[in-house]
Amino acid sequence: MSTPYEPYLLTADGTADFGALRRYEERGGWAAARRAVTEMTPAEVIGLVKAAGLRGRGGAGFPAGVKWGFVPPPDRVPGPRYLVVNADESEPGTFKDQALLETDPHLTLEGAVIAAYAIGAETIYIYIRGEMPAEARILQEAIHEAYGAGHLGAGLYDTATRMDVTVHRGAGAYICGEETALLTSLEGGRGYPRIKPPFPAFSGLFGQPTIINNVETLANVPAIVNRGVAWFRSMGTEQSPGGKIFSLSGHLKRPGNYEAPLGIGLLTLLHDPRYGAGPWQERPFKAVIPGGSSVPVLRADELDVRMDFESLQAAGTMLGSGGVIAMDESVDMVEVLYNLARFYHHESCGQCTPCREGTGWTARILRRFHENRGREEDLALLLDIADQMMGKTICPLADALAMPVKSHVTKFPDEFRRHMGGEIPRYVPPSSWAVG
Amino acid sequence: MSEIATIVDRHRGKRGDLIAILEEIQSRYSYLPEDSLREVAQRTGRSLVDIYGVATFYRWFSLEPRGKHVVTCCMGTACHVRGAPRVVEALGRRLGITAGQTTPDRNFTLETVNCLGACAMGPVVVIDGRYHPKVASSAVSALVDRTARGNGTAEGEEADGKRLVLNVRCPRCGHSLLDEQHPLEDRPSIRLEAVRDGRAGWIRLSSVYGSPRVAAESDIPSGTVVDFQCPQCHAHLADGLPCWDCGAPMFALQIVGGGTMSFCSRRGCTRHLLDVNPEPPTRPLLSER
Repeated sequence: MSTPYEPYLLTADGTADFGALRRYEERGGWAAARRAVTEMTPAEVIGLVKAAGLRGRGGAGFPAGVKWGFVPPPDRVPGPRYLVVNADESEPGTFKDQALLETDPHLTLEGAVIAAYAIGAETIYIYIRGEMPAEARILQEAIHEAYGAGHLGAGLYDTATRMDVTVHRGAGAYICGEETALLTSLEGGRGYPRIKPPFPAFSGLFGQPTIINNVETLANVPAIVNRGVAWFRSMGTEQSPGGKIFSLSGHLKRPGNYEAPLGIGLLTLLHDPRYGAGPWQERPFKAVIPGGSSVPVLRADELDVRMDFESLQAAGTMLGSGGVIAMDESVDMVEVLYNLARFYHHESCGQCTPCREGTGWTARILRRFHENRGREEDLALLLDIADQMMGKTICPLADALAMPVKSHVTKFPDEFRRHMGGEIPRYVPPSSWAVG
Repeated sequence: MSEIATIVDRHRGKRGDLIAILEEIQSRYSYLPEDSLREVAQRTGRSLVDIYGVATFYRWFSLEPRGKHVVTCCMGTACHVRGAPRVVEALGRRLGITAGQTTPDRNFTLETVNCLGACAMGPVVVIDGRYHPKVASSAVSALVDRTARGNGTAEGEEADGKRLVLNVRCPRCGHSLLDEQHPLEDRPSIRLEAVRDGRAGWIRLSSVYGSPRVAAESDIPSGTVVDFQCPQCHAHLADGLPCWDCGAPMFALQIVGGGTMSFCSRRGCTRHLLDVNPEPPTRPLLSER
């Protein structure tokens, strides 16, 4: 890249508080929504976002404009359309949406208004994770401000468009981040994922056409409207254009959220003093999870990879949510996987047998390793169970455990063998572990 | 009309009402009593099994009474690799319970959660909604002690759901610092004078403990260190100690009823401390206003 990357997502100064709207407007905020609603047709907005190639930032990477284009015309499916903002960020290692909502709530709101306009929705639901009460409060105040300033409400920008926003707080269930489970939860039931098709774009919330977008995806939209396709495509790669927020955590000197162009090197994120600044206590890295806890882990010798959808796929893993968890030599990969398995077992909604039983048995087998009673044949058994889970369920929660199981077992078999009886080796942490 | 009936009525006719109804009951009673679920079933016309299904699906709902203080330890992958399992163990040992249980005196409930999205500060422990970053297992006892001792001992604090609202005054002249005319977050704000580059202007802080909300006469860029003065006697309110996180001076306000609330003077730094004096004041308090 010839020109240095200029952040456009995390541009607010500190926490959004009193005067968030005024400060957002001073930075040119809400101009894109006004322009989209007053000067562009919904089809033009969809065309623009399609041309920009904006891919969903929630994990799957589906092109946002294409998704919006799936909403059928009113003569085919009459009645209201809904835009749902997925702010149920719960993927371990991911905290980008939280930062966006906390520091700059109007950016996401503006993106949501543009998206809602594009799909013909007059109602926006924001499903925010229950564990984010502060962000929900900030968002609620921002919505209040936006109504007051005419960015929401009836007669938007002196047009016939109407726009209303409702914030819905989740009640603690990881599965509700899956888009169809989120819809069931919004309707007041247990968060059970639904079989697709019908896709939400045809039959979603209350049976009406619905588009669900991640917070960060929507936060990209105002800049695309303001600055155009060529600008957006000047960043990132051909197939993964634009910028991205990477959440760095684990054994790094400078964990935190960093905005960078897609396609940036993982090693740069980990070691560059502007980003992660290298391993926390100078112990070398053992493994890195590149995109939130549910994607396959990378070994230390596999870290020379670019952080975009296609490069990580080629490397056998996924960009996911962009949550990078760095683990140094002190980490016991068996314990990491055991902790994950218990998590996914707890969060499995129980509808599909491969997931309900598979996550449970995986956790039980890993418990054997945890108790230093693992057996050689358990390694094959874990892989077999993972195969029986992959792609055989309504939603990807089963895959979200199967992928780490496969990668942990195949990439670190010796770690598992150290848990097969005899005197092993609980890792004894050095005293410098006592942080804070 | 019963309290439950009032809650159900408030949500009547709204789509997706059940979760909102249960959330309201849970925040009222700290759990979902069986009788309340029966009444919700009767009044909404939904089957009890339906309601039980929703109530047991979400982590936030509890069918058992929960403790006065809820201690939540994050076990997400990032916290896990930075030592969270030892923190949970230490919490369990200190409280004499395991995760998911409540102490017999109903003072503490211990929970684990899978990732709170505070991965950069791990291991994280949340006590009554307040985040404690980078908790070492050796620091757990002190945290629990402070919680057990801290709440409810000072007059002028009120537990507003999970929000602790502070009533503060100037430690020098004793004048109340609360500004009833200009609430922040539905509560009277704390009004102070902010001095920057020799110029003073008003600044209002939220009286909700832990809240970073601020309103100021002029924008204060992130990272700027500000001097705070009492708007009545113009006394400089620095408490003479540097911030643990960033080294900027800490400023202290007196809590009505005893104790101090200290906060960092650097814009953007959220370090603040609550030191509630467990002993009664040695001399009678001056007039409150």
